[in-house]
Amino acid sequence: MSVDFLHPGEGAAIDRDVPALELRGIDKRFPGVVALDNVDFTLEGGKIHALMGENGAGKSTLIKIMAGVYGKDAGTIRMRGREVDIKSPRDSLKEGIKVVFQEIALISEFTVAENIFLEGYPTGKGGSIDWKKIRADSAALFNRIGFNVDPAARTGSLPVSQQQMVEIARALAHEARVVVMDEPTSSLTPNEVSLLFTVIRRLAALGIAVVYVSHKLDEVFEIADTVTVLRDGRHISTRPIGEHTNDTLIQDMIGRRIDNLFPRKRGAPGSKVALFVEKLSTAKKLNDVSFEARAGEVLGFFGLMGAGRTELAKAIVGYDPIASGTITVDGSRLVPHDTRTGVGLGIGLLTEDRKSEGLMGELPVYQNASLASLGAFARMGFVDKAREHRAVQDYVDRFRIKTPSLFQQVKNLSGGNQQKVLIARWLMRGLKVIVVDEPTRGIDVGAKSEIFALIDRLAGEGLAVVMMTSEMPELLGLADRIAVMCEGRLTAIMSRDEATQENILNAAIG
Amino acid sequence: MSELTHASAPRRSIGGQLLGSSQLVLGLILAALCIAISIAAPQFYSEANIIAILRQCALVLIVASGMTMLIITAEVDLSVGASLAFVGCIGMAVLNSTHSLALGMLAALAFSGGVGLFNGLVVTRLRVNSLIATIGTMMMLQGGVYLFTREAVQNHNRLVSFTDLGAGYVGAVPVPVILAALIFVIAYVTLRFTTLGRYLYAVGANEKAVRLSGLRSERLKLFAFVVTGLCVGVAGMILSSLMNAGQPTAGRGFELTVIAAVILGGTSLLGGRGSLFGTLLGVLVLKVIDNGIIILGWNQDLQMVVPGVVIILATYLDIIRNKANVR
Repeated sequence: MSVDFLHPGEGAAIDRDVPALELRGIDKRFPGVVALDNVDFTLEGGKIHALMGENGAGKSTLIKIMAGVYGKDAGTIRMRGREVDIKSPRDSLKEGIKVVFQEIALISEFTVAENIFLEGYPTGKGGSIDWKKIRADSAALFNRIGFNVDPAARTGSLPVSQQQMVEIARALAHEARVVVMDEPTSSLTPNEVSLLFTVIRRLAALGIAVVYVSHKLDEVFEIADTVTVLRDGRHISTRPIGEHTNDTLIQDMIGRRIDNLFPRKRGAPGSKVALFVEKLSTAKKLNDVSFEARAGEVLGFFGLMGAGRTELAKAIVGYDPIASGTITVDGSRLVPHDTRTGVGLGIGLLTEDRKSEGLMGELPVYQNASLASLGAFARMGFVDKAREHRAVQDYVDRFRIKTPSLFQQVKNLSGGNQQKVLIARWLMRGLKVIVVDEPTRGIDVGAKSEIFALIDRLAGEGLAVVMMTSEMPELLGLADRIAVMCEGRLTAIMSRDEATQENILNAAIG
Repeated sequence: MSELTHASAPRRSIGGQLLGSSQLVLGLILAALCIAISIAAPQFYSEANIIAILRQCALVLIVASGMTMLIITAEVDLSVGASLAFVGCIGMAVLNSTHSLALGMLAALAFSGGVGLFNGLVVTRLRVNSLIATIGTMMMLQGGVYLFTREAVQNHNRLVSFTDLGAGYVGAVPVPVILAALIFVIAYVTLRFTTLGRYLYAVGANEKAVRLSGLRSERLKLFAFVVTGLCVGVAGMILSSLMNAGQPTAGRGFELTVIAAVILGGTSLLGGRGSLFGTLLGVLVLKVIDNGIIILGWNQDLQMVVPGVVIILATYLDIIRNKANVR
């Protein structure tokens, strides 16, 4: 590895007419699936190019081909006009393409500097590694992107946001001409996002072509110069961001219009208090939280990352222990504090982390749906499968869950359909209070409106819905009342009419 | 990030899974083995030999029935071999001092069930990984049995019912085979048709989801540990009847045979997936190989080597099959 990266511009003159990277007619098939069908994708140096599309649109496949993780079945790849053959991640890096995946691929036990120079440590006398130089060079790289990370820190001890910076520094160390950021903001706080954006703009200023993969519209409008949309493995459009509006972008992504993302059909909330939480504290996070939720109401909880929403959700359903305070569901105290009692009283959690806390991926759809209500289908401990299947089929039809059959392993369903299966799990059990935590995380734009409609219906059927969310539109679109949290405390409760983005954010900052 | 899962074609159903290609492959291996051995040595198909094979299978199948449940919940018990030996000695000692088969049996079950309970509590309460916890128990039992007795506990009774436990027949069928069949059927029905069985799969597939659904996941695991222990109790008494003594050295490597049979049968060590029918096939394959090696007059050390090869091969075939299904 040379040390040219310390002096950008020299020998790195960019010919504006020749694209930094040009993919033409890319095909990729997996048995039974066409993942990419004749896709073109062209990147200019110095520009930020957003790559958008729903889950399954082909974004990941395309960037994995650029990264050398997958081979392409047809098509050509040119770097600055020269056709290249990328067969492995190593080839990709050598050609100057650096992909920063969502799951960051750094060795967590190594220091930051070691990770940056993983592929070739500078050596000194007798082939020994020149540690001083590694540290100094690393610091210089961070200087260039305008973000400082301690080169001697153990990588695993850093927050994701800083690990991303290490990956970006690595890209510079390899003199990357193309940097791909795959859903980089999914676990960042708003503050970290704006820092990341500054760094990304800096990369572009250095003449690097940046690919920004995301499905968050507001971010794309903020940072991208150009947007390419894929759908069902096909190239749909490439346009300057200025030619797009929210609506046109959504339309390109899902192939149809969504007239009303938040259909409201339910009536006004009732007056009966279904959930009453008083002075709730936990050992780690929650501090003296009190509120009530009424039957037929959607109570939205907003907060920034780390505000304690998920902690609250898990505490009030009896999943995580509490230090003090009381929880009353439908007039009865949640004592002893466990999920068995909670579900018995009629409170359940729709988790934010479907894969690790909700789904039984290997098991079929029907077993996932009936998990909480299996006892109701049993006689003397034996499951009446016919009755169980009928009941599940009923929900599959009503919720329009797209699955080839009840016997399909649930892991093969899309995120939206998985979420519907988990909602069905609770409705089959029959609840008084449902706590939904980030109900649309990892769900396509098209399926989101269906989930919103379901939440509206839950409240319409008389459940109290306690919704934890970090998405402002979701909050304002669905909630009857809005509660705001900051660092484990409840800082405001307001009605939908009083709420504005501004006073919500003010309360969230504390 | 889920281009593949989103669009991938339908996979096998649960109905298909039961007699899915995993079992099919194993069934074919079993058939091929039987044919090959009987061509080389026709006496393989004699009634006496078949009964001998079944008797050999009985002990393993009894414990493997419990172990299948346990592995389905994503836990494992490595102490069953050591417990088997200990239980035989205790059962025999109680039998000697009380002259009652019922009390001997009860003592054996109480001890082995207690071992299961201990394992279960260590795993669910102390949250020690079951592999480590049960290796610990195994060592405690292996050493503990010598504190209990330095040599084999001989049978001082002439209790016919005790001798029958291992060596008796009902018609042409050995008693241990009948006991094994009984336990197998109970376990099969439980896993297949009851809520309890469904919860065992669920706990192995996703323990947190089970807890969030208001079920007591720890109790389910505890149950599987205790059942495995009780199965060891039954097997231990049969073994001491067969040997007419409680042998502290018995059962070395038994846990490996049992776990191998379960894994061979397609039950996933990750939990949530598996079937007792597969376990039955797994036990048969291992024991037919054993028997074949003896009948063919091969070096008996191959009795360990060949099953080792078969396990790796069968698991590899399963991986290939899964890949073919996913892609």
